[in-house]
Amino acid sequence: MFGFRISPSSAINLDNVSRDRFSELCRIEPDALRCMACGSCSATCPAAEFSGMSVRKVLLYLQRGKEEEAFKIMNNCMLCGKCTMVCPRGINTRHLLLTICRIYEKEDRR
Amino acid sequence: MREIYLSGYNNFVLPFMLGMIFVLSWCIIGAIRVILQLPKEDRKRFFMSLVNPKIMLKNIRDWFCDCLFHVKLWKRNKLLGYMHSSIAFGWFMIIVIGHIEVFLYTPERVHQIWYPIFFRYFVAVTESTMKGSFFFFLMDFFLLVILSGITLAIIKRVRSRLFGMRRTTRASITDLIGLYALWSIFPLRLLAEGFTADISGGSFLTKSLNGVLHSFLSDHMNMLPTWWAYSIALGIFMCILPFSRYMHIPAEILLIPMRNAGIKVRHARKGFAKLQVYSCPSCGVCIDACPMGAVKANIKDTTVYLNRQIKRYNEKRIEEISDKCLLCGKCTALCPVGVEGDRMRIAQRSIRKYNLSPDYSNIDENMLLERCNKFVSSTNNDVSSTQNQKVLYFAGCMTALTPVISKSTQSVLQKAGIKFEMMDKDGGICCGRPMLMAGRKEQAEEMVAKNTAIIKASGADTLLLSCPICYKIFKEKYHLEGIEVIHHTEFFDRLINEGRLSIKGSDTRFVYHDPCELGRGCGVYEEPRRVIGRAGVLVEADKNGKESICCGGSLGSLTLSFERRKALTENALNNLTVASPDVIATACPLCRSTFNRYSDRPVKDIAEIIDEATRRKNR
Amino acid sequence: MKEIVVIIGGGIAGLEAASQLLKLGYTPIIVEKSGQLGGHVAQWNRLFPDMTPAKDLVSDLIASSKDANIFLNAEISFINRLKDNYNVMLSNGISIISRYILFTTGFRLFEAQKKEEYGYGIYNQVITNADLEHWFNTGKDDRINGKEIKSIGFVHCVGSRDEKARNSQCSKVCCITAIKQAIEMKEKFPDAEIYCFYMDLRLFGKKFEDFYIKAQRDHGIHFIRGRVSEVSENIDGNVIVKAEDTLLGKPIKVTLNLLVLMSGMVCNPDSTRSASMLSLPIDSDGFLKSSDNVMHITSSPRNGIYYAGACTGPKTVPETLAEARSAVLEIHSRIIGQQK
Repeated sequence: MFGFRISPSSAINLDNVSRDRFSELCRIEPDALRCMACGSCSATCPAAEFSGMSVRKVLLYLQRGKEEEAFKIMNNCMLCGKCTMVCPRGINTRHLLLTICRIYEKEDRR
Repeated sequence: MREIYLSGYNNFVLPFMLGMIFVLSWCIIGAIRVILQLPKEDRKRFFMSLVNPKIMLKNIRDWFCDCLFHVKLWKRNKLLGYMHSSIAFGWFMIIVIGHIEVFLYTPERVHQIWYPIFFRYFVAVTESTMKGSFFFFLMDFFLLVILSGITLAIIKRVRSRLFGMRRTTRASITDLIGLYALWSIFPLRLLAEGFTADISGGSFLTKSLNGVLHSFLSDHMNMLPTWWAYSIALGIFMCILPFSRYMHIPAEILLIPMRNAGIKVRHARKGFAKLQVYSCPSCGVCIDACPMGAVKANIKDTTVYLNRQIKRYNEKRIEEISDKCLLCGKCTALCPVGVEGDRMRIAQRSIRKYNLSPDYSNIDENMLLERCNKFVSSTNNDVSSTQNQKVLYFAGCMTALTPVISKSTQSVLQKAGIKFEMMDKDGGICCGRPMLMAGRKEQAEEMVAKNTAIIKASGADTLLLSCPICYKIFKEKYHLEGIEVIHHTEFFDRLINEGRLSIKGSDTRFVYHDPCELGRGCGVYEEPRRVIGRAGVLVEADKNGKESICCGGSLGSLTLSFERRKALTENALNNLTVASPDVIATACPLCRSTFNRYSDRPVKDIAEIIDEATRRKNR
Repeated sequence: MKEIVVIIGGGIAGLEAASQLLKLGYTPIIVEKSGQLGGHVAQWNRLFPDMTPAKDLVSDLIASSKDANIFLNAEISFINRLKDNYNVMLSNGISIISRYILFTTGFRLFEAQKKEEYGYGIYNQVITNADLEHWFNTGKDDRINGKEIKSIGFVHCVGSRDEKARNSQCSKVCCITAIKQAIEMKEKFPDAEIYCFYMDLRLFGKKFEDFYIKAQRDHGIHFIRGRVSEVSENIDGNVIVKAEDTLLGKPIKVTLNLLVLMSGMVCNPDSTRSASMLSLPIDSDGFLKSSDNVMHITSSPRNGIYYAGACTGPKTVPETLAEARSAVLEIHSRIIGQQK
């Protein structure tokens, strides 16, 4: 029970994170850089209850190279636009999410 | 009448014939392709509609009203209407009368299709045919009508404002060639007939021109070049037609029966969508209609430019234009030929590939149902509730962010003694309309299915909605047999009419903003106005009803950022406040919060207004 | 001749400036649009970080500036520039000619009803920071009195750092005010659970961090890093607040008996109106624009026009008082320089 297991480290090593696709995302939707992680989007999201969807987290996961995690929580997004309505930084979250879906190719996801 | 030339042919008809054969074959092949591209059930529906006398009658009426008389343009601006209908109807009549003449005087030439067009060249007037002077008069009369239309068209090119249009389309090169060819056809025809009028006969216009011409040009040899010029102008026009905006002339003939058959845009580029693209006359009515026009940079993102870019396969621009649109539907409502700018854009969005396949199967509708199947009776004892109506109130995502609307609505329901339950007081599933607007039909359908299951299982007989965005999809895409879907404005209107709500009016001046999805989207214009009229004084905005200007907050647009919407909202507010109202009333949570951000006066939902008006009485 | 200085606004900046000008031998004239002096501070109960009664500060300032000419209930009708002077016309018909005008027009509290999702003016359990201070002062508020209060929430950044509320700047004092008010409420309702919903805690001032520690350790106030996005009402008449605990990454909700919105500072529309008469520039944050934001916060780009206090941006009370004195010194040096 208290033995050691060999498992991949859950720590993030930023040295190994590629920033190319995130830069591409920022080129198309510069709002991606404006998030101040207030959590308004996650709190209001109707999908959060089911999948833990949070635009804030998606952005963070992508910036930290955890693309698989980002896509896992995006599965229940209904594009309803509530997050766009509440975002204090005026981020166009709907377009941001759609752009993410286009830039991050499935096979490239880690 | 007698014929001058035995063959009934001259080389000058060649340019015309070339153009005619080209354009006819182009259109026939195009029409067959469009019909073949339709989905099977649509094709069947189209052919069935052609044998349905009721639809056929409507087709004939629409052909006359839309293609020839341009009734919709008359309603917009008399001068604009006259300009279009004079050219279209005048030309049509000249062709018809030309054929009648051929039938009457030289029936053996009917099979030569150039003959009616160049009739005057080939015949000479005789004593016996002075009876034909009636036709001569008609021909000259309609030529004059067309020429007056052409004159107006030339004036419009310079001063479009006279025709009620602030902005017009920037013409492409093919459009310009077509335009100049069209402008020259009829003056050349007048000139050609003017030269021959002393031989072939003519009426007030051609005859008198003939007199003038003969005063300095007596040689009949001069007439051949003018007939050549006339034929060349026709030939150029017809050859350029498929590549210019004038393609709308033949395309609209097919568009009308297809529309009347109830065919919808199903594919982004093929079939009905293709037909719509080619039916766009580039008139630019949509440019002035577009609420995004408040910012000049957005002009190139209007429907007319979408159609042009689709013709050019410019994928980058198609994407930009279709993603930016607010989907307010105003261009569709005002389009004289019925191009559906909003549906076309949704279709363009739908062919885009996204690397995400949403899956809603983990959403537990039973858990959501548990939250909303305990209908609570009203505590209001003043109203004897005889009906056993069970109202399920779906406030919607947007209303969760404007809680005043759901609170007021519930308060009004209480006062009217309605037994109701709120479907999404603790969160729910989105109605699916925003997903549909993003072009993701399949995902939207999944949400529709989930919500349908909850609503049906709840035991409600009425579904009440506060948000017009939800209302539209609930009306159009949900199959809720036996459950009435109703917007709160309509419901309140009914409650007032039935005497279940007593309202005390005031002298507050309200202006009503028609939300895009409620007005143009669902055709609800009267009920909200009636309801407001009971609570106060209703004044109207400059542009209202079908022409109401989107608040700028619409979920339809994918790319318009928050800052870039401000100018649109301010423009819409200026339109609303022309009659200096005290309060801006609306019936959409999204419009309410968008306006409230920039408005200098209070913005209220109808639910709030009614709640206050019922409270007034109790005091 | 004693130089006249027109002070627009009788808040703490205006009063402090007037008292300093009097000491230097000038003639200050205070123009105040409301019927009383002291501005926003006069409405407050106690001031951080020493819990000084606001009343004492205001009455001291009024006492030391009592020899100034004070026009209450007077608004600026118009200001125009003569050759070297300004002509200030008041709504009571009085016109003043002066070479110096000091703007101490202050700020306006963000109208909390504009944040529709928080339900101010709709739900009976939602009040603002100003309402709470009013209750501390008077003890009168039906939204608090006569109710059992077991849980209280404070929402930071209401109308600040919010593009949707058209104010993207931080209002600087709300974090510390919320902590102060949370402690005060905990003292009044020891059994209540108190939650502060913040985006970032910005506690930069002297002894502010002590306040924070005190709130955590001595009063057990819960700090939740997450902005409230929705407020709804339940059947018992309490409000349910939804936020995300961004540190845990989980949505949370809590039922509250009282929700206090920390309305931020926005520019005072009256000051922008007066400024426009003199074509003074407005900064991108909506406040008046100083000639520069490092060396000359109290100077405007126009000769003889000076600023002090929150008319150029959110300020704390000590900062405002310091600026008032600094502006007076600027005016004084200029007058001396002109006399030479």
